[in-house]
Amino acid sequence: MGLFQKLVNLLGVGRKEVNVLVVGLNNSGKTTVVNSFKSEEDKMTDIVPTVGFNIEKFQNQNLAFTAFDMSGHGRYRDLWEHYYKECHGIIFVIDSSDRLRLVVVKEELDLLLQHPNICQKSIPILFFANKMDCKDALSSVKIAAALGLDKIMDKPWHISASNALTGEGLQEGVEWLTQQIRENLNVKH
Amino acid sequence: MDRYFFLFLKMNVSKWLEAHTDRSANLITLPRNAILADISGTGDYNLVITDLKFKTDNKSRLKTFRGTILISDQALPSLPNSLISFFADRLEPRIPVVGVACGSEVFFYKNLKPFYQFRVPSCPLIDHESNIWKEIIETKQFDVDKMVESLKEIPYSNLSSRSQQLLTEYSLTKAEAFIRKYMDSIPVKDDTITCMITLERTSKDKTSISCPIIATEFSNIYILDPQNFSIIQQANTCNTAATPFLIRCSGLYDVEFRILIATREGHICLLRKGWLEGKSLIQLKSDIVDMVLVPGDNFIVVASVDKIIQCFTKRGQRLWSSEVNSPITTMCLVRLEHLSTSLVAIGLKNGSIQFYQGRQAVDYLSIADSPSVIVFGQLGQEENVLVVITAGGSISFKILKRTAEFSNVPQESTPLIQSKPLPLPKRSKLFLEQSIRERQHALEIHQTFQQDLIRLRLTAARALIQNLTDQSGIGNEKEQIKLSAQVLGLGPKFTIVLTLENINPTKPLVGLKVTFHVNPLYYILSNYVIKIPLIPPSLSFKMQIKAKEIMEESGNEEQSNSNAIRVFVSRQEFSIPVLAATINMPPTELIA
Ligand SMILES: Nc1nc2c(ncn2[C@@H]2O[C@H](COP(=O)(O)OP(=O)(O)OP(=O)(O)O)[C@@H](O)[C@H]2O)c(=O)[nH]1
Ligand SMILES: [Mg+2]
Repeated sequence: MGLFQKLVNLLGVGRKEVNVLVVGLNNSGKTTVVNSFKSEEDKMTDIVPTVGFNIEKFQNQNLAFTAFDMSGHGRYRDLWEHYYKECHGIIFVIDSSDRLRLVVVKEELDLLLQHPNICQKSIPILFFANKMDCKDALSSVKIAAALGLDKIMDKPWHISASNALTGEGLQEGVEWLTQQIRENLNVKH
Repeated sequence: MDRYFFLFLKMNVSKWLEAHTDRSANLITLPRNAILADISGTGDYNLVITDLKFKTDNKSRLKTFRGTILISDQALPSLPNSLISFFADRLEPRIPVVGVACGSEVFFYKNLKPFYQFRVPSCPLIDHESNIWKEIIETKQFDVDKMVESLKEIPYSNLSSRSQQLLTEYSLTKAEAFIRKYMDSIPVKDDTITCMITLERTSKDKTSISCPIIATEFSNIYILDPQNFSIIQQANTCNTAATPFLIRCSGLYDVEFRILIATREGHICLLRKGWLEGKSLIQLKSDIVDMVLVPGDNFIVVASVDKIIQCFTKRGQRLWSSEVNSPITTMCLVRLEHLSTSLVAIGLKNGSIQFYQGRQAVDYLSIADSPSVIVFGQLGQEENVLVVITAGGSISFKILKRTAEFSNVPQESTPLIQSKPLPLPKRSKLFLEQSIRERQHALEIHQTFQQDLIRLRLTAARALIQNLTDQSGIGNEKEQIKLSAQVLGLGPKFTIVLTLENINPTKPLVGLKVTFHVNPLYYILSNYVIKIPLIPPSLSFKMQIKAKEIMEESGNEEQSNSNAIRVFVSRQEFSIPVLAATINMPPTELIA
């Protein structure tokens, strides 16, 4: 049973469709993260750079998750904004060993936060400081500081260090996100 | 400067992200000594640079960075001069070879491990020098003073390094010991590598196999086979004295290529496939600092010490030039594939980098101090990274924003000279066949043409004769009279019909007479003078006279021009005729 499904069962949210948008630079590990949420039989063994985007679904008796796994390559980053409107939560994956591109991460995050479809919404953002196993990996605290996450006032956010290959740290993050989404849904009803 | 300031105020937001700057990196390097290459074949590009140490007790280093982090630092045998990387084989994973030129050798590395050493061929000694050494080797005797004197006759730069070293020994005893040490062998004159470049072999993609090209102090250009490092083409830089120091190329080795070599003498020489010697394409008045080839148009952008940037077509015509406000230290091509354009980054001594798109300065970056090398390309996972190492030893990484655009700047890139060739039609198959045929049958084609030309002339001459003998159309423009004649009959009796036409549309003709003049020995006319009545405007008057030929057996042929009747039209009171004409009478056709 996949991690997502376990959680969904645990929380017991009503039969709701929930969209999450998975973004981040190319090679940060988005597809690997999404892949580890899937049930054993659905898991891919070979992960290649995503072209455009992938849609992954997780069905549960109470909740249906749809993850939009976007490509992080420069030429596809324009696609992200088309899904801002419909999503209930954002997973932002960061390669914490790629120090060179931390400025690019910040630039893309700022563009995302300034987008009209995002800046009005109180949408929860989950950051994965992925590849924590790498030698040059920066801590999640350092990454949060470098990205200026403390300046995000109007949206709930959370950062967890992760290793998408082993699944380490993913659970903690997703628990938080599910909680946030559920709260938002409850407020609306 | 003001202009850029203004431009900067307007744009305000930089197009570049500051990724990382290390002001205490303490790196000393030179242009063409930094490359970006995926040296481990993982798709994570590295920065490879040489770090120069000029003190003899301190070795220069070859340094490799992953992202902003130094991951390898190895000593080099001597002072490096340039750095290249290229793919030598198709083995997976695709790992490029890194080549470092030091002195007369190129050290090739794969996966950061040295694996091959290439030495450029040494040069023959000048006869005089080799004779001096030969004599010592044979006789085993020498006189230091005499030897030094005779070596000094040769220009210092043409000597082998051994003789050069000897000339710098001051004390006699040291010099003597030096000679003794090397007394058994003729010295060799090493050729020193001055610059390198790579040229793709068969295709132009990112991982295609390329040939290293090496240029040397003694003007030799060597193209090497990337697999076994044998010399596959060798050439001389130029037919005049030239010391190459900077080399660029375009094209493919297997198809057609152009190597451009900048020399210390201020020439830019062109070398093409199969040439044994390059030729000077451009000559600059001042020393060259750097040169880049802009892909696409193959324009040559050259920076010189007088702070001037010039752009030439590939044929060497100057398109534009621009002056910058500080001496130029280095240049770098900035290929922006996602924008399908290329910029030229120009590093200035005052610590700024200007970006030119064509002849326009489109962007500006300010850095710590004078840049000594600039590279642009993929580093790590990021495709558009600019790495700048400055004279002060700092290293700085800048990333072009994804949203940056350069096309909104008004572009007036129309060159001063029409750079495009004339729109000649493509050579068709028909054209080629025709030209082959012309070459093969040149003689026949020429003869046929000449025959036709003669025929044409003959036809033209015939038509002229015909026209003349038609005896029509003789006229006087001023008086506006036209006379035509017609001869009827076979002879010996003829009838001549003359028509006098008044071509004046308004005035009538009055008071004219026609006089006939013949040789009375041959012709007798019915009438010799005819008075013409008034001819109204635009009308004509016809008259008829009879002529009879006097048939005689002899003498007729001798005076061939006598069978002519002259006609004069004159005004009654004037003696000068208004119009004169000759009627050539046909010979009498005797019916047997
Ligand atoms: N060491 C380590 N490697 C990881 C981790 N997560 C992912 N990777 C590796 O990183 C590489 C890229 O992973 P992907 O999941 O394809 O990255 P992506 O973000 O989907 O990339 P794009 O689809 O191109 O945007 C793969 O080789 C993964 O095996 C991690 O936590 N640790
Ligand atoms: Mg992916």
